[in-house]
Amino acid sequence: MKKIFLIILGVLVLLMFLFGGRYNRLVMSEEAVTSAWAQVENVYQRRADLIPNLVETVKGYAKHERETLESVVEARSKVSKMEISSDLINNPNALAQFQSVQGELSSALSRLMVVVERYPDLKASQNFLALQTQLEGTENRITVERKRYNDAAREFNTLTRTFPNNIVAGMMGFGRKAYFKAEQGAEKAPSVSFS
Amino acid sequence: MIRRLCLFCTGLFLFCCWVPSAQAIEFPERPDGYVTDKVDLLSPETVIRLNRLLAGFERHTSNQIFIAIFPSLEGDNLEEASIRLAEKWKPGQKGKDNGVIFLIFQKEKKMRIEVGYGLEAVLPDAFVGNVIQQIVTGHFREGRYDEGVLLGVGSLMKSIGDEHQPGSGILPAMRELTPAEREAMEKRNQTIFGFVLLILLIFFIVDYIRYARYRHEHRIYKKRYGFWEWWFRFAILLFVLSMLFRIMFYMALFSRGGYYGGRSGFGGFSGGRGGGFGGGGASGGW
Repeated sequence: MKKIFLIILGVLVLLMFLFGGRYNRLVMSEEAVTSAWAQVENVYQRRADLIPNLVETVKGYAKHERETLESVVEARSKVSKMEISSDLINNPNALAQFQSVQGELSSALSRLMVVVERYPDLKASQNFLALQTQLEGTENRITVERKRYNDAAREFNTLTRTFPNNIVAGMMGFGRKAYFKAEQGAEKAPSVSFS
Repeated sequence: MIRRLCLFCTGLFLFCCWVPSAQAIEFPERPDGYVTDKVDLLSPETVIRLNRLLAGFERHTSNQIFIAIFPSLEGDNLEEASIRLAEKWKPGQKGKDNGVIFLIFQKEKKMRIEVGYGLEAVLPDAFVGNVIQQIVTGHFREGRYDEGVLLGVGSLMKSIGDEHQPGSGILPAMRELTPAEREAMEKRNQTIFGFVLLILLIFFIVDYIRYARYRHEHRIYKKRYGFWEWWFRFAILLFVLSMLFRIMFYMALFSRGGYYGGRSGFGGFSGGRGGGFGGGGASGGW
């Protein structure tokens, strides 16, 4: 009787070790994805915060480009109206939508940057130069954080789908994480050239 | 025949898998020092001066500034290459993320200053862009690379100021270990652990045999201790001993005269310390 009890206890302890460790690893991996996502939101927010200032500066020099400026402002307001929650990463469609709305802002911005080429005064202004550098920096940060997010999500997805993690993941309800899709033409960061 | 076919198929498969990685420049595993100049763009005196300057800067503020000069981007994207290098060398302290890389590619005449997370507040992109455009570019165009780098680095250092003081010296042992140190510690811990385990096991077996003989001689039928009881004691003993060894290892590590020095020629350069980067900084060309 005592022996059976001991055996059961042993098996339980073994299972706990086996699955407890795996569960913890899954939780850690998911946490890494969430924090990577927080960074992504962060850098997109940073870009959105930059835009009012940029629009004001450009307005001062290029009054005739109302259309382009308006499209930027409109895309910006769309971005800020979007509901963002960390649930987004569990839903590929929601993430795709997030990406497309942000992509609209990107393309509006790149159109603005093309227009700006026609205004040498604006291009020479210190204020605009600083904003331009900041915008470039932000686009670069977006690229970096998106890549990190995708890497974290890929690691998590691989982890949850390999045996025997998939059993634990299935039991505990770990879903798949969505990815950012590769850049399409319109999604390219506004290319700004010095020279 | 079938085997050969299989072999052929695997070969074909492997060949298909082998895609030449899309123009990703290979960086060396470790920086040569604070300055890694692979094309001798800077004069030797400047390299020595910069190394001394940056070593002192790290000692006083714990910030790490690396300078990396490579011949060519090899078709790679500047920003992508830069962040990859930052992730490889990891300048800056772990947790503080206070590292900077000044990266220069000679052939493309491109440069980038990559700023770690922890210094983005004191080195905003606009400021770094300014340093590149107003200070460095002019000197580079006229071929005065030494001045350009020195002045650029100087203005970065000035702007950083005394951000991130090194931790107060109450418990120097509490600072972050570098990856190399951690690896050494882990390796040593493993050997120590195995050693302790072996000794304890031998003790146990010897004790068990001796007691068994004693029991046999004196006709005692009660065991001194059961398996679980022994296991419990063994675990506690193991834990205590491993803690002891760990403390001893730390003491050995940090009593070696501050561990700076010795590793390489100048002031003990020991590579990046795990700083994090998020794409901050600015790019430019000349």
